[in-house]
Order: sequence, then structure tokens, then C-alpha cells
Amino acid sequence: MDAITIKDLRKSYSGTVALKGVDISIREGEFFGLLGPNGAGKTTTINILTGLVRKDAGETKVFGSDTVTDFRFTRRQVGISAQEFTQDWFFPLDKLLLFQAGYYGIKSADAIDRVEALLDRLGLKEKRNARIRQLSGGMKRRFQIAKALVHDPKILILDEPTAGVDVELRHELWRFFSELHNEGKTILLTTHYIEEAEMLCDKVAIIDSGKVVTEGSPKELIGKDATSGITIFLSESFQGLESILHDYMYTDDDKRIHFSTKDPEGDMPKIIRILSESGAHIQRIETDKSSLEDVFLNLTGKGINK
Amino acid sequence: MNWVGFKTLTFREVGRFFSVWRQTIVPGLISSILYILIFGFTLEKRIDNIDGIPYTLFILPGLIMMNALTNATSNSSSSMLQMKLLGQLPDILQAPLSSFEISMAYIIGGMVRGTINGILIMVVGILIGGMTVENPFQTIAFIFIVSWAFSSIGLLLGQLSESWDQLATMQNFILTPLSFLGGIFYSIKMLPEWAQLLSMFNPIYYMINGLRYTILGISDSDPLYSFLIASLMTLIFTIASIKVMENGKKIKQ
Repeated sequence: MDAITIKDLRKSYSGTVALKGVDISIREGEFFGLLGPNGAGKTTTINILTGLVRKDAGETKVFGSDTVTDFRFTRRQVGISAQEFTQDWFFPLDKLLLFQAGYYGIKSADAIDRVEALLDRLGLKEKRNARIRQLSGGMKRRFQIAKALVHDPKILILDEPTAGVDVELRHELWRFFSELHNEGKTILLTTHYIEEAEMLCDKVAIIDSGKVVTEGSPKELIGKDATSGITIFLSESFQGLESILHDYMYTDDDKRIHFSTKDPEGDMPKIIRILSESGAHIQRIETDKSSLEDVFLNLTGKGINK
Repeated sequence: MNWVGFKTLTFREVGRFFSVWRQTIVPGLISSILYILIFGFTLEKRIDNIDGIPYTLFILPGLIMMNALTNATSNSSSSMLQMKLLGQLPDILQAPLSSFEISMAYIIGGMVRGTINGILIMVVGILIGGMTVENPFQTIAFIFIVSWAFSSIGLLLGQLSESWDQLATMQNFILTPLSFLGGIFYSIKMLPEWAQLLSMFNPIYYMINGLRYTILGISDSDPLYSFLIASLMTLIFTIASIKVMENGKKIKQ
């Protein structure tokens, strides 16, 4: 069953169209990335899914239940780590986590062990009595994630979870997200860090101007929409390339042959075999890895941070 | 009904004002003690009794009511606005809580603060002002209903405000004048006829006189009207604030 189903989701804000019919399906246990520049509609999509924003039209379901009519069920399945930090002037971190568990129907006595475990796992144990304003930016981000996990949701939504954190913490969080994924959580990640999506996600959808422009596994997308380069250096010139490499796009520069391919992993062994069987002596091979950024660029005509 | 969620949010709302009791409970007590001392020791000698009641005692029910209703209003309004401005509201709106549960938790928070403040000032009146309460049960019940009504008004103000300035404007230009013109310090019989008529349209006039009746046994208005108007306000503003929460105006996008 799909953990999240979004169909033809539409939303306008006083005349400005934010979503123009978004369709997304996320399988249970999947690590799904929603990629797009600022203002593309990522946060609006999430906010509609979680009940913070009203949709104009379309369907949003969590494990097959409508997020509006069955909100009590669907919201219990979802934990949200929002992009914006929450502030609180009155209560310490452990109390805020217990409140958060309470909103989801978990009594303090039942939530206390999980709160302890999360404070420990996210390195916040020593700050348990601190107020949010006393935390560093990285700690605030970790607290935001602890809050999303306190009711042990099946689905975790991470809205730009590594925005503004240093490289060390970013890698630490990536490891943590992978662990959660391995524990069976379905994760919906929005990001505009290409590396993050490539490294973590099973599947990504690229959203631009309120519409999903493509989706698939990072590998598929890179293979489908972008070209990669394979450069083969021969130890000596070889005549008759045209007759053996007619199925490939390449440029021949004497002992250097450069191939453009959408499926470098599939094509490389074939090219090597053809050349070897034809008697060419391969000295070395170089590949230029394409990335989701190229895919994004090709599809939208602009960089992801624009 | 998400009882645990509802209880948690209610507990949070009540705990919030208790955690800053110096700001939420003490000021009303200090100002009431000052009123009693200043009027008791100085002005009372120069002001005639009203309906046979010494002036300090006459104003005490009004002070109790003003404290109860301003505390009730400011608790729910400031908590709602604060949650909006500090980005805490999504935590509650994205949780499995209904608009009814969320609204009632805020209203109970303000109602508890209003009732506690009202009762504490009543105790101060008894201890320092020498006040005797004719009907303690009715008095507490009336403070409770009015606190509920004004807490729901406060929630509505908090929901509709987008800044502290807007909220302060509504409180300073509507609530405070209506409180003072509701007859805390005077009987409307002392006013010219047109002002008496105008007072009839001020709901706080009925609140103050209702409490004056349960405490002192005197009232400018029919006590039944006071009870009915307080109950009606409670009903109307509770429903209105739940509807606004449901509708999401200025809360959800």
C-alpha cells in the first residue's frame, strides 16, 4: 500500500497559483525526495498533506485514508520536522517533547522512555532543561527532528532538514535518516541539496512552479534525462570505429574517444567489449558523472538554487 | 475525542500562565490591594454610601470582575497570538486534535486564570476590605461563567490578530473602556439618563452588577439578566471561536 498518495493537488494564494495539479505516490518504507527550488510548491504540498493549509482541489491520502476526513488516523502516522524552527518561552525541551507526544494521544508515563531515548540519540540529553532559545542552530534542528519522532510515526516528513547546518552535522543527520529508513520508516524529504537527495533517496520527484516535472530513482532520472560522458583512451590509434560503434554517440579524437550516453553503467561494458573484441588496446577510462542537478537543469532550464 | 491530546493542551495552557505567575496573578492582587487601601483610607470618608454600602465595598465586586475578565481575555488572546508569531501553532494544528478540542483547551486556560484571579481578589476583599459575600457559591459560579465568556472572546481576538499592536488596540480601545464604563466605580443611577441608557448596551455593566448582586445583594440591573447575558455571551463566543479555528481564518492558509 502507498504510504502517501497525492492526486491532482491544486492550491492558489489570492490569485497566485502555487500548485497546478501535483501527483505523487510514496510506497511504504520508501525514502522519497521532493526536489525543487524555493517557491516550487514543496512546503505547500507538505502543509496540505499535514492539515496546515487547505487545498483548493485534489486528493491527499495517508495509508489509503483521506487526510481531511480521517485526520485523526492520518496525523498519527505522520511526524513533521518543519523548515522553520519553533520557539517557546515557557517550557524546557523534555517537557515540550512530552507535550508533543500528548497531542498525539500518548500519555506522559508512556512517552517518557521514548523522550529519553530521543534526547540521547540526538545528543540533547544535557540540554533537557534548557529553553529552545538557549540552543545553537544545530541543536534546534535536532530538537525539531526529535519532536517529529516523539510519537513514533510510520512516516517522517523532513522539510529542508539540513538547511543552515554545518557540514559535520549534515553528515551526522544523513546517517541518522538512513538509520531511520533502515528501521522501516517511510521518509519524505524536501531539499534543494542535490547531494542529499542522491545519497539518501530511493525515489525523487522534481517539482517546479507547482508541478511535478519528473520522478523516478535518482539513477533512473540521471540515466533518463541527462547524459553522462565516458572517455576511453587507447594506447594506439584505431581505424574503423564507425563500423563497430554505430549504435553510440561519440567523438573520435585520435586515441581519445568520448561517448555521450544516458546509461553509462549499461553502455560502458558493452563499449569496452566491442572495442576489445575489435582489437583496440584500452589504456584507461574516465567517466564524468552526471547529477540530479543536470537533470533539474535540463528539465526546468534553471539551477535548483535559483 | 482525543482526550489525552486535549488534556495535554489544556494543561499546557494552564501551566503557561502559572509558570509566569508574577506577570499573570500578582499584578491584579497588588492593584486591588492598592484600590482598597487608597479608597478605604482616603476617599471613602468623602464619598457617600451607595445604596447603604460603603464605597470601598461597593467597588470591590467591580474590581473582582474587571480582574477576572481582563485576565481571562488576555490569557487566551496572548497565548494564541504568541503561538502564531513563534511558529508553535503548526505543532498543534498538525496533531490529531479537532478545532473543538484546540479551542476548548485555550478557553479553559483563560477561564482558569480569570477564575483564579477573581477568587483571589475576592479573598483579598474579605481579608483586607472586610467584605462579606452573601452568596459564595453563586459568586464563584458567576466569576466562572464570565471568565469563560471573556476567555472565548480573548481566543477570538488572538485568532484574528496578526500582531501585538492589533491585539493591544482591540483590548485598549474596546475592553478597557467598556470595563470602566460598566460601573465599577459608580452606580449608573448617578449618571444622566442618556448615559444610563447607553450603559444598558455595555455587556460588562451586566457582569459587574451580577457579581455585585451575588456578593452585596444590590444591583442596578436585574440579576437574571446578568446571568442570561453572561451565559449567552459564553455560548456565542465559544461557538464563534471554534468556527474560526475550523475555518482557519488568519490561522491556516
